[in-house]
Amino acid sequence: MAEKGCYSEHGVSGYGVAVKVSRAEPMDDAFIKGLCEELMLSVARKCMELGARCIGHIKSHVKTQWGTIKADTIGISHGAYSGGRVERPVGEFYLAVNSIVQGIKEDVVKAATLEGIHETVAERGLVVEKEKEHSYFDEFDFVASKQEYIRKLEEQLGEGSSPKAGENDR
Amino acid sequence: MKITQIAGFLGCGKTTLILALAKHLAGSGQHKVALVVNEIGEIPVDGKVIEESGLRVKDIGGGCICCEVASSFAKTLYGLYKEFRPDHVLVEPTGVAVPHQVKLAARMAGRDARVSMGPAIVLFDTTRPAELLDMEMLGRLVVTQLEDADIIAISKVDCVEKSAVEESRLRIRQINERAELLGLSSFTGFGVEQLIERILNWKD
Repeated sequence: MAEKGCYSEHGVSGYGVAVKVSRAEPMDDAFIKGLCEELMLSVARKCMELGARCIGHIKSHVKTQWGTIKADTIGISHGAYSGGRVERPVGEFYLAVNSIVQGIKEDVVKAATLEGIHETVAERGLVVEKEKEHSYFDEFDFVASKQEYIRKLEEQLGEGSSPKAGENDR
Repeated sequence: MKITQIAGFLGCGKTTLILALAKHLAGSGQHKVALVVNEIGEIPVDGKVIEESGLRVKDIGGGCICCEVASSFAKTLYGLYKEFRPDHVLVEPTGVAVPHQVKLAARMAGRDARVSMGPAIVLFDTTRPAELLDMEMLGRLVVTQLEDADIIAISKVDCVEKSAVEESRLRIRQINERAELLGLSSFTGFGVEQLIERILNWKD
C-alpha cells in the first residue's frame, strides 16, 4: 500500500465480498429479506464482539433472476432494513456484502463478514457455492454486462486511473 | 458542468439522497446529470443500487477520492465532461471523505474542463448524534465534515422526535455557524426540493 487513506487515519476499515448461494427449496422475497436483515445484524454483532467501536455502514445487495434486494444496518441498536423485490421464488442468488467499520483492522472486518455470511446462510439451509472478493469480469457483476465492465476497465487502464485494477485479479 | 458533492458520515443516507436529487434534476428534462460514486471496499454496492434505478453511474474504487485516488477522480470528471457534457455532476464521496479535499480534487479537473462548484452538502444522521460526535476519533472526522459544509442537511428527520432534530441542530450550530441548516427525509421527500433549488442557484 503506497499511501494510507483518510479512513485509516480515523480507524475505519472496509471489506467487500460477493457470494453465490443456493438451496434445494425455493426462496421467496420474504425469506431473502429476512436472511439479509439477519445477516447485516450478525456481521455487525461480530464486529462489535471483535472490538469495533462503531458500525459505519454494513450493506448488502442481492441479485436474482427475478429481481433484487438491498439491506443495510448502521448498528445493532438501529436495526436492519431491506428494500427491493424478488417477484418469484428462486433456488439461488448472488449476494454482495460491504462492511465498513470503525475500530478494527481490515482482516478482522473480513473475518467477521465471512463468518457472518457462512453462519447465517448455513442456519437457513443454504450452501455457499462460490465466493469472491472483487466484482470485475465475471458472473459476480450484478448490473452491468460483462462487456460493459471490460470496456470500463479497459478505459480506466487506458487512462492509468485504476490503481487497484491489476490487484483485483486475485 | 457544476459539481455538487453529497458528503457525510457512513450510513447517513447519501445514496438515497443522491438518487432522489438525480431523479428530480434529470426528470425535468432540462438538465443532463452524471453521478460519481466512491466507496470503501471492493464491491460497489451503492453503485449497483443506483444503476438499478436506470441512472448511469461511474464507480471509483481503489481508495478515497479525497486523498488516495484524487487524481482518478479528476480524470473521471474530465472524461465525463469530454464525452457526456453534463450540466450537473453529483458526487457521493466515501463516508469518511473530507469535503474541502474533495473540492480541491474536483478543481483539478477544472484545468482541462469548464467546471463550477456546487455546494458541499453534508448530511448529519439525526438518529445517532452522540455516537457520531462524542467518539474520540470519529468525532474529529464528523466535526471536520460539518465545518466544511456549505449546506448541512439533518437527515432521517422522519425517524425521530422533533426534540431530537432540535438537539442535532443545536450541536451542529456550535460547530458551523455559517452553513445553511435544513431538515431532510429522502424517503418522504421532505427537504429534497429545497436542496435542488440550492444546487441550481448556487454560485461558485
